[in-house]
Amino acid sequence: MEDLIATLKQQIVEQLNLQHLKAEEIGSDQPLFGEGLGLDSIDALELIVLLQQKYGIKLANPAEGPQIFQTVRTMAEFISANQKA
Amino acid sequence: MRVFIAGKGTISAIGNNCTESWEALHSLRSGIGRITILPTIYADALPAGEIKLSNQELADAAGMDACTSRTALISAIAAKEALRDSGIDIKKYRTGFISANTVGGMDKTEIVYSKYLEKKTDTQLTGVVHHDSGSITELVADVLGINDFVSTISTACSSSANSMMYGARLIKSNLLDVVIAGGVDSMSRFTISGFNALMILDNKPCVPCDENRNGLNLGEGAGYVVLVSERVAKDLGKNLNIILSGYANANDAFHQTASSPDGKGNFLAMTGALKMSALQPSQINYINLHGTGTKNNDLAEGLAVQKVFEKVPHCSSTKCYTGHTLGASAGVEAVYSLLSMEHSTIIPNLRFETQMKELNFAPSTSLIENIELNHMLSNSFGFGGNCSSLIFSKTSSI
Amino acid sequence: MENSNETMSVHGEIFINGASCISPQPTFDNTAFLTEVKTHASNKIYAVEPNYSMYLDAIAIRRMSRIVKFGTTAGLMALKDSGIENPDVISTATGYGLLEMSQRFLQDCVASGEGIVSPTTFIQSTHNTVSANIAIIIGCNAHNNTFSQKGFSFESTLYDAFLMMQEGAKKILVGAYEEVGEFNYAAMLQAGELKKEPCNNLETFHYNNNGCILGEGAAFFVLENEKRANTYAKLIGFHTFLNGDNSNFPIEEIEAFFAKQGIETSAVDVVLTGINGNKQSDNVLQNGIEEIFANSTTAAFKHLCGEYMTATAFAFWIAAMMLKTNSVPDVLVLKNANRKPTTILVYNTYLHYHSLMLFQNV
Repeated sequence: MEDLIATLKQQIVEQLNLQHLKAEEIGSDQPLFGEGLGLDSIDALELIVLLQQKYGIKLANPAEGPQIFQTVRTMAEFISANQKA
Repeated sequence: MRVFIAGKGTISAIGNNCTESWEALHSLRSGIGRITILPTIYADALPAGEIKLSNQELADAAGMDACTSRTALISAIAAKEALRDSGIDIKKYRTGFISANTVGGMDKTEIVYSKYLEKKTDTQLTGVVHHDSGSITELVADVLGINDFVSTISTACSSSANSMMYGARLIKSNLLDVVIAGGVDSMSRFTISGFNALMILDNKPCVPCDENRNGLNLGEGAGYVVLVSERVAKDLGKNLNIILSGYANANDAFHQTASSPDGKGNFLAMTGALKMSALQPSQINYINLHGTGTKNNDLAEGLAVQKVFEKVPHCSSTKCYTGHTLGASAGVEAVYSLLSMEHSTIIPNLRFETQMKELNFAPSTSLIENIELNHMLSNSFGFGGNCSSLIFSKTSSI
Repeated sequence: MENSNETMSVHGEIFINGASCISPQPTFDNTAFLTEVKTHASNKIYAVEPNYSMYLDAIAIRRMSRIVKFGTTAGLMALKDSGIENPDVISTATGYGLLEMSQRFLQDCVASGEGIVSPTTFIQSTHNTVSANIAIIIGCNAHNNTFSQKGFSFESTLYDAFLMMQEGAKKILVGAYEEVGEFNYAAMLQAGELKKEPCNNLETFHYNNNGCILGEGAAFFVLENEKRANTYAKLIGFHTFLNGDNSNFPIEEIEAFFAKQGIETSAVDVVLTGINGNKQSDNVLQNGIEEIFANSTTAAFKHLCGEYMTATAFAFWIAAMMLKTNSVPDVLVLKNANRKPTTILVYNTYLHYHSLMLFQNV
């Protein structure tokens, strides 16, 4: 899980073009949206793209996003549970 | 000075001119369906309001070359109809063409670009220099024979409304006498992919204003009005009696694509238009809502409408019929509003079932005929927070 | 300001109370006026860009392409320069739009076979991204427009400013932005519109051949109907027309413009022309100007910024700066008549799109 979290942080930095941050600087349990990293609805869509492109998981309903993308850890847990073998 | 409407023209998925369009609207017949002209992998998955004419057929109707961008062909057809409808000899007047589009010649660019990426050395690129928004307008201005002034506005879905406002202002300031104003957009894979990436497309025919709405359907089309000064209106001797009585362009200043939760920009656009027309909200007989069918727009717009109107008048979204024609939408919907006024008929929403829980009103769901329509409000709210509202009013004949 | 009866001709006084320019020259620092001039050895020249972090925050910058960065920043710089925080109108223009993002999105679409693509790239490709950005950053709900009409793009914003002033708008932000896009560049090259390399921008008018050098940049201005302590200059008249037969110099249009303005052509101290290195069209423009403005200093600007649809915004900046600094930098001059710059005409052509802008000192 920790490996996945580390990889995910790097992928998030790249997908969202967070040039001002290093992957390690993102807390695993830090809120990604709202106060935390200050991401917005477009970033949520980009994370949906990330899930699909990197992990083959298709999220048809963007409304599911907020729950999954709360923190890097919740994202990693979702991926673990849903990634196609 | 009053600015009169002397003519109108439109083409969209529901009709190739005003007569056909009105017939479809009056018969509650939607033009949304499978994409059959534009080659796309989404032909079956994403319903759209496509004009069921090939580029060759459009070119024949427009009197232009078939290799011209579809955007220009559609624009020319509607603009020519508007000019013909007005009966104006533009050689007698200072005439401008103010158009709008968001895609420009993207229908052509995306084809060339694929070939360019394959690095074929014989790929003909030179046409690309004429694929900008302004070139499309220039082509149509040439067809219309207009050369006093041309311009193009590109403010996403509010574009054509802003064209009409700019045209009206040019007339009021005595810079021009006649302006053909409105806009156009045509289908492209670029646009489909973009909206798909934003996850705001409905995979079924859209249900604007409905609690269970699921997104928009894309469409293509063009809509133009001929705006004239009082002097020209008098000259024409046609007893013109509809004016563009009010308009406003405001910015939501919230987010690139999402409306603010309370629809601030929407509210400012509607109240600004009312202020200019010196009308009370209670005098508006009908609102042609922007009503795209997205969760975000319909809520923001609905809340703003409720805030402006203590008692919300009859309202509907004609995007149920045409899909969202993007840069053309305000132009197309202005023409539909004018047709409604002419026929004293309100066109209802289609496929509406459940009122939105946040709102105290619902759109019209059946045709209302023989109704006095003196003042019509038309909303167009786009990406970039660009919010525009227009008011068309009946006035004493001139 | 009032219009004349001549079509699309406006005369009066609009005060330029804020200005900014990001261009292929080091111009973004308004305190120096072309004291340093940059040579670009190419037929496409790129802007000298400022440190954006002074104007844009990191979370916002990460999404922005170059044109969005320099367009938005130029707008914010002009506002800062004017001391105005919230204008009554934001009116902007771009000829080709946001090419880099459009191209990147197209590339994504093709690569994925119309499959999964980034929404950010799509959103950042629309023409009105810059004016929307400015509105969001400063929290401005006012009238907001974006024009795109080839050689009339920036000029359309000037009409917008004039029209809105007629309705009581007092503080107006206008501007334009354009970028070199690789795909468009390739198309122009193939179409024979550009100078062949090797070439050098400062030599643009010395090559005896056709073709121009492709440029880019952004310039923004705050316009008001009153003079202030920081006023650069005033715009006293402007006019646009489509010159159908572009092989002929439109002497009647120009004479009519000056007649309506109520000043003699001989009153013009400096004519800043839009010659662009394309010898065929340049000769028509130059010869015509020499004839009507025989005793004026003639100058050019496209060797500094390159040719692009909204280059008149760069010229607008040059004119304002000449009047503010009471100087005509040598690098601009084609023919020096040693005239103190109090009245300046910018006469631009982009294909058959012609525009005249007349400025005076305050």
